[in-house]
Amino acid sequence: MAEFINFYFIPGLILGSIYALGAIGITMTFVILRFANFAHGESMTLGVYFAWTLVQLTGLHPLVVMPIAMVLTVLYALSIDRIFYKPLRNAPVVMLVVASFGLMLMTRSVVQFFWGVQLKSVLPGIQKPIMVLDYLRISPKHMMIIISALVLMFAVHYLLTYTKIGKAMRAMSDSPELARLTGIDTEKVVLATWVVGAALACAAGVFLAIDTHVETRMGFKLLLPMFAAAILGGVGRPYGALVGGLIIGLAEEISSYPFIGTEPLLNPGYKAGVAFAIMIGILIWRPSGLFKGKVF
Amino acid sequence: MDAFYGYMLYGISLATMGGIYAVLTLGLNVQWGFTGLFNAGIAGFFGIGAYTTAILTTAPTHRHLGGYEMPYVVGFLAAMLLCGIIAYLVGKVCLRLRSDYLAIATIGIAEIFRLILKNETWATNGPRGVSEIPKPFEHWPEPWNQFAFLALVLVIVAIVYVLVEVARKSPWGRVMTAIRENEPSAKAAGKNVEVFRMEGFVIGCMIMALAGALMAHYLKFVDPNATDPLLATFLVWVMLIVGGSANNKGAILGAFLMWVVWSATEIVTSRLPDELAIRAAYIRIFLIGLMLQIFLQKFPQGILPEKRPTVPKSNRNSETV
Amino acid sequence: MKILKKLAITASAIAMMSVGAQAAGEIKVGSAGGVTGPIAELVAAIVKGRQVAVDHVNSSGGLLGGDTMKLVIADSACDPKAAVDAGNKLVNVEQVVAIIGPSCSGATNGMVSSVTIPAGVTVLSDSATAPSISELKDNDTVFRASASDAYQGKAIADLVWKAGIKKVAVTYSNDDYNAGIANVFTTEYKALGGEITGNQAHEPNKASYRSELSTLNQGGPEALALFAYYGSSGITIIKNSLENGLFGKFYAADGMFDNSVIGQIGADNLKGNLWITQAASDTEDASYKAFAEAYKAAGGDPEAPYAAHGYDVAFLMALAIEKAGSADRSKISAALRAVAGPEGEVVRPGEWEKAKKLIAEGKDVNYEGAAGINDFDKNGDVTGLFSVNIVGDDGTWSRSMLK
Repeated sequence: MAEFINFYFIPGLILGSIYALGAIGITMTFVILRFANFAHGESMTLGVYFAWTLVQLTGLHPLVVMPIAMVLTVLYALSIDRIFYKPLRNAPVVMLVVASFGLMLMTRSVVQFFWGVQLKSVLPGIQKPIMVLDYLRISPKHMMIIISALVLMFAVHYLLTYTKIGKAMRAMSDSPELARLTGIDTEKVVLATWVVGAALACAAGVFLAIDTHVETRMGFKLLLPMFAAAILGGVGRPYGALVGGLIIGLAEEISSYPFIGTEPLLNPGYKAGVAFAIMIGILIWRPSGLFKGKVF
Repeated sequence: MDAFYGYMLYGISLATMGGIYAVLTLGLNVQWGFTGLFNAGIAGFFGIGAYTTAILTTAPTHRHLGGYEMPYVVGFLAAMLLCGIIAYLVGKVCLRLRSDYLAIATIGIAEIFRLILKNETWATNGPRGVSEIPKPFEHWPEPWNQFAFLALVLVIVAIVYVLVEVARKSPWGRVMTAIRENEPSAKAAGKNVEVFRMEGFVIGCMIMALAGALMAHYLKFVDPNATDPLLATFLVWVMLIVGGSANNKGAILGAFLMWVVWSATEIVTSRLPDELAIRAAYIRIFLIGLMLQIFLQKFPQGILPEKRPTVPKSNRNSETV
Repeated sequence: MKILKKLAITASAIAMMSVGAQAAGEIKVGSAGGVTGPIAELVAAIVKGRQVAVDHVNSSGGLLGGDTMKLVIADSACDPKAAVDAGNKLVNVEQVVAIIGPSCSGATNGMVSSVTIPAGVTVLSDSATAPSISELKDNDTVFRASASDAYQGKAIADLVWKAGIKKVAVTYSNDDYNAGIANVFTTEYKALGGEITGNQAHEPNKASYRSELSTLNQGGPEALALFAYYGSSGITIIKNSLENGLFGKFYAADGMFDNSVIGQIGADNLKGNLWITQAASDTEDASYKAFAEAYKAAGGDPEAPYAAHGYDVAFLMALAIEKAGSADRSKISAALRAVAGPEGEVVRPGEWEKAKKLIAEGKDVNYEGAAGINDFDKNGDVTGLFSVNIVGDDGTWSRSMLK
């Protein structure tokens, strides 16, 4: 049991929190701008490289410089919106998807061009876990990741529930036509969506970098699980994205637990397929997701 | 070697690859241009086609399943058939969904295919790939074997073009356009939208499998890296958007044009100093992406915009009655 | 149609540039490599190694009658499609004499079968290690300076067995290189009498491998045989294992060898528990020293995987062109065999003037490379020398030779 918790459940939880933070941005863009943003993973990568550069410049802990990296990522997202998405606002939505597909590659090649492809690290060395209750192993950096993720999730909750712009965002995601009629400034809501999405993407990326390392394709590797999380939770449901992220993260890790005998339940070579399989299952049986999201 | 002869051979290779991409792009055009289906998993269907023919036509080996030494034609047909069946199953699941969902689902399915190709070593030799795939005409002397292969590719492009063009102009094609433009009214006119979309999806995937099969024979080798989304999915999309979606001539033009741009830019960048020449590879990808954005914003119709087939007069009269 | 016109103009401008760039007195050698794609970080160091060799040649007399040797880079992207296109450009447009590279086995396989064997162009790869390349019907035009996986897999199996370890768990990154070497390792280790407690592929680039490692830890393995690239999964696996006390001993092959392994995990954590075999010669070896000095001077880390091989292939190719006496494609293959040894006077990295003189006098040369002895067998393969690297007391890699 201890083994299950230490090596399957806790890693799944960490991975799940990272997916969850990323999925919030995807689900909000999906519902408010009405398109699946394929470039979301690359915002994450870029955010991590901003953070890495700041760590190199200042020598501070990555979590300390993370807010600045988040601001930079937000600026990037806003300028991308201005240059590439805004002119297509009235075009068929699929044009936006194609555009984001292109931006995914453009952003990645910019990162590869300026920072190179060498592996980097924001937090070198290893950390031995602290033993809790004699058998639980929790590493300090994992505590940091989980606590920071909770803080961010709470901040999102606060934003959506108590601020004017947050309420407008929720109204837009429930019914864009109605929101427009009630005089909500849709452009403002769109900008707010990018701000929230990019900031959270950057944070998720930095958490992943703290847990592993920095490389140019890390965002793309997370993109499909994040989509899966957003769809699982129900499109347009930020809380759904949180739950969806956690479920996908846990499912990926637990899928290779040797439930029967000593062989893993699923060949770990297929682990990356778990998220897609869940996603496709949800699309067949319950396209609105767990939290009754939008189905277009 | 004579410089002119070299350029000619390079020209043949450009045209061959361009032709294979033209088949892929025509397949995508049936899905996206005609029917409005967003397939972001082209690489997966391409890979199925490539592996099917590779396993059927290679000589016996202990490395992977197969070694049946079948003729190419059998390989091509089997590739299309298998891919058609798989596309049907995928379509059953995904086609009810709006285009973005379909995009996400197909990209996920393509990744699952890739994992299968990598992990089912007994059948595919896993990450090491299938080598020594026979190539049609390879025993002919140089450069005639290359000409002959090019001719084969071009003949296939022509056949596919004629078939999809006939389909586009037929009543079937007009229903497709109607579904793409206004699904509710097509439904109201009594058309079974689901069936039509399924037909578009399956036919498109089968054409992609044919392109994959051609590529496998041309490269004489296939491994899971050949299904990398950059060159097998993204570039095809750029080709269609630049060429002009829903226009079959545009699809072919886009494929040749973008392949030439993609391939020939390296001739320029390789002249740069070493350090830059390596990084320039990323600039190439960036520029292709930028080109896509420019076309999306300024020329959303592509180079050759869609031409609606004219409805024959007799039909028109009867329809108004 | 306006767009078409513009595009046509651009295209013709590109074509003109490429025609106009033929400099006089320049001999072009293709340098194919996966500069983009999954192992881009390894390839950068290899390509640098090739360039250092070319600089040596050009700065001490150049090729033949004073021609400069020019490497033309082409991106094979570790993808057979891209490699075939790259090969076509090198062979037909750039009209190179021969090609060094590409990096990945799959890319090499595609490029040689589809382009260079029919064209009769000699290819000398520095890092393609798949055994299937030996079996190609290539009219003796495909060579490689790195040993086939068959040799290194056996070397690691011997190393583990001799360390007195009777039970190991195996995990490998699911790509052509690592899957191949893992396969050889398991066969050889079992043949020695060892027990494989678990053998699992893993998908590279995942955030965590804790669950895989936990499963592999069943059955009491004494060590983990880890076949992976350091960047895409190797470092993460060692970190995860050490942090959670799952495995304490690691045996790995040269895809794992890099300074960032020490940089990211920390020397203290790795001392006495990590062994990485590498196709490389002794650090005390004169050939290696000559290379390392030059490579360091060029701002690189000479211990990067396959950097020395990159140097060797470029230098060997220069020797072969010199030996052939002209930039004639058809003579390169035989000349390559002639300069690689084993007969003749030994030439080491950097000794271009000496080699040039010997060849001019009609004497045999035997190039002893930075990465080992390059004597080709009938398949154009080398057996290779292997070293084992451990983290030394000073916190850097310390290398000793395997016999």
